Amino acid sequence: MVRFGLCRPECIRSNEVPTDMSITDSRPASATASHEAATAAAPVSGSLLGSGDHKAIGLVYVVLSLLFGAGALVAFLLGNLHLVQSGFLSPSASDTLLNASELGFVLLVAVPLFIGLATYVTPLQVGANTIAFPRAAAMALWTWILSSGLFIIANCVDGGIGGGRDRAVDLCLLAIVGLVLALLLATVCVITTVITLRSPGMSLDRVPMFSWSMFVAGSVWMLTLPVLVANIVLIYVDHHYGRPSEFGVSSVQGLQIGWVISQPQLYAYAIPVFGIAADVIATLSGRRQPNRSALLVAIGAFGALSVGAYAQTYFFPEVRDQIVWAAMGVLIIVPVLAILGGWAALLKDGRPALKSPLGLSLVSVVLVLLAVVAGALATITPLQLRETPLVAIGQLALIIAAVLAAGVAGVVYWAPKFTGRFANEPVGLLAVLVLLGGGVLAGLPFVVLGFSTKFTGLDSASDALQYVAVVGDGLVALGAVLGLLALGSAMRGAAAEADAWGTGQTLEWMCSSPPAPEDFSELVTVTSAEPLLDAAAGTQEA
Amino acid sequence: MAAHALPAAPPVQRPRVLVVGSAFVSAATIMTFVGLIGIYLTQRAAILGAGDTWLPKGVTIPLQQPNTMLFTLLMSVVTMQWAVHAIANNDRTNAYLALAITMFFGFATVVMTWYLYGLMKLDISASSQAVLIYSITGLHLLLLVVAMLFIALMAFRALAGSFDGRQHDGITAAALFWYAVVAIYVLIWITIYVTK
Repeated sequence: MVRFGLCRPECIRSNEVPTDMSITDSRPASATASHEAATAAAPVSGSLLGSGDHKAIGLVYVVLSLLFGAGALVAFLLGNLHLVQSGFLSPSASDTLLNASELGFVLLVAVPLFIGLATYVTPLQVGANTIAFPRAAAMALWTWILSSGLFIIANCVDGGIGGGRDRAVDLCLLAIVGLVLALLLATVCVITTVITLRSPGMSLDRVPMFSWSMFVAGSVWMLTLPVLVANIVLIYVDHHYGRPSEFGVSSVQGLQIGWVISQPQLYAYAIPVFGIAADVIATLSGRRQPNRSALLVAIGAFGALSVGAYAQTYFFPEVRDQIVWAAMGVLIIVPVLAILGGWAALLKDGRPALKSPLGLSLVSVVLVLLAVVAGALATITPLQLRETPLVAIGQLALIIAAVLAAGVAGVVYWAPKFTGRFANEPVGLLAVLVLLGGGVLAGLPFVVLGFSTKFTGLDSASDALQYVAVVGDGLVALGAVLGLLALGSAMRGAAAEADAWGTGQTLEWMCSSPPAPEDFSELVTVTSAEPLLDAAAGTQEA
Repeated sequence: MAAHALPAAPPVQRPRVLVVGSAFVSAATIMTFVGLIGIYLTQRAAILGAGDTWLPKGVTIPLQQPNTMLFTLLMSVVTMQWAVHAIANNDRTNAYLALAITMFFGFATVVMTWYLYGLMKLDISASSQAVLIYSITGLHLLLLVVAMLFIALMAFRALAGSFDGRQHDGITAAALFWYAVVAIYVLIWITIYVTK
C-alpha cells in the first residue's frame, strides 16, 4: 500500500469504520482499536453472504446491473420491434416489456451500476479503508437483489405497471418500493463516505471527480427518488385497498411515474458519467486538470438542472409549458459544454494514452450531449416535438447507452483494482464501437421521428427508422455483455501494479491491486486534488 | 518514494458519520412527504376549482385529535432534546427518563391517530380523497413507528453504555430523525387537518 510513501500523521485520526459495525454504530473513539476489531472480527475478504466488505458488495452490484442491463435492452428491443411489426407480441406483453425495461433501466441498471462502482471505488478514492455503514450497504445490496427478483417475477406473470393480474401488480409495486429504498440506503452509504471519511487535507474541492459526481448524483437521487416512492404508495393503496379510482387504475399507473424516465429527471442518472470520464481522461493524459473547480461546479450545475420530481405531467399537465421546465432543458447544455471545454484544455497539450476507457468515456459523454441537445430542441414549442413521446424515447435510449458506456469504461479503467489484472483491451475497444454505434442507432431515429408532426414526409420512413433503432438496441445490449466480458477477462489478464496506468492521480492508485485489507487502515495526508502527482513530483525533486 | 513529498496535516475534526447519514435519510423522508402533499394539494385545488367540496359528503375530520397530536409531538421534541442534552452531560438518569417520555409521546400519537381514523368514517374505497388522506397519514404513522424503534435501539445502546458525554452520535442521530418526523406532522396538520 505504501506505493507512493505518502506521509502519514503519527496520530491516526479516527477514520476507520470496521466492517463488522452495525448500521447504527458510531465511529469508535480509538481508530487503532477499531482497526484491530475490524481485522480480528471480520476479515475483509470473507464470504460474500453477510460480508460488509465494500469491494465485494460493489462488484456484485456491477455484475448484476450489467446483466440486468443486457436483459432490459433485450426487453426494450422486443417491445420496440412490436411497434413496427404488430402481431409479433400481444399488446399487453409489449406494454409490459416496455414499461419493465424502462423502469428497470433506472432501478436495475443505471443507479445500481454507478452505486456498485462507487461502493467499490469511492472509499479508496477518499482514502478510507471501508464504506460508511458497511452493514447497511450489505443490507441494501441484498434488499436490492431480492426486490429485483420480485420485480422481474411480477412482470413475468402479467403484474408489471399497468398489468392485468392484481396480486402480481401489488407485488410489483412493493418490489419497486423495495428497490428504491435499497438504492437510497446504498446512496446514503456512498455520499456519507464522501462527506465524512475523506483523508486529512482532502477538502470537498479536492475530492476525485468520480466521488464528487457520485456525491452530486446521490444528492439528486435522495431528493427525487423518494417522490417515486410517494407515487407508488398512492398507486398501491388505491390499487390494493381502494376501488381503485384515480391512482390505481391500470391505464394511469405508468403515466404517474413517467417523470422518472423523462427529462429533466432522466439526466440525473447520467451525472456520474462525467465523473468517470473526468478521472479517466485526467489519468490517461497524465496531466492535472486545469480549472478543476469549474468542472466541479459544472457537474454540480448539471445535477441541479436534472432535478425532475416536480415535472409530473399526470398531475400537472401544463408543467412542460412552463418556463422553469423549458429553461432547465436548455440551460443544462451549458454545464455539458463547460465540462467538454475543460477537457479540451486538458488535452490541448497532452497526449493521452489511447486506451479503451478513454474511448468509452468520450462515447458516453457524446451520447449524453446528444440526449441533452434533443431535450433542448423539445423545449422549442414551434417544433411540436412534445406532441409525441418519440423524442423522449430517443433521449432514453441515448442515456441508456451513455450510462452503459460509462459503466463499461469504469469497469475497464478500475479492473486492476477489481481483480489485480487488466481487462482485455480488444474487448474494451470493441465495446467502444458497439456502444457508440448502438447508442446513436437506438436513439437518433426516434429523435428524427419526433419531427414527423412538423415534416409529414418522415412518416414514410417511420418503419425503416424504427428497425434501425431496434438494431441499435441490440448493439447496446451487446455492449452490456461486452462489459461483463471485459470484467471476466480481467480475471486472467496481465497483472497490474498499484498504479496500474502509471499516471494515476487519485488515492485508489496508491493501494495495491486489488486492494489489501490493510490498505488505508492508516490515514494518508493529501495537499491537492492529485496527491499521487504531488508524491511523484516530490520524489523527482528529492 | 520519498515520505517528505507531502506535508503532514494537523489533526482534523471529522463530521459524525451516523449524524450525517441520518440527515440524508431525514431529507429523503421529507421529500417523500413533499411529493405526497404536493399531489394532495394539486388534487384538492382541482376539485375545489370545479366548485365541489374536498371531503366527500358526510365525512368530517375533527380538529381536536390532530391538535392533541400536534402538541404531543411538539412536547416530544422538547423531551428528545432533553435526552440529547442529558447524555451530552453524562446525566444518564435524565437521558433514560427523557427517552422513555419521548417514546410514550410517540405511542400516544399512534393511538390517537388510530382513534381519529375511527372518528373520520372515511371509506378508503369510496373516493380518491380517502386514498390520499390514508396514504399520507398512514405512511406518517409507519414512519413514527420506525422513529420510535430507532429511539428504542439507541436507548438500549445507551443502557449498554455505548454513549457518554463525549460520544453520543446515536442519540443525536435519533433526535434528528425524530425532529424530521415531527416536522412532517406539522406539514400534514396544516394541509390535511386544518385546511381540510
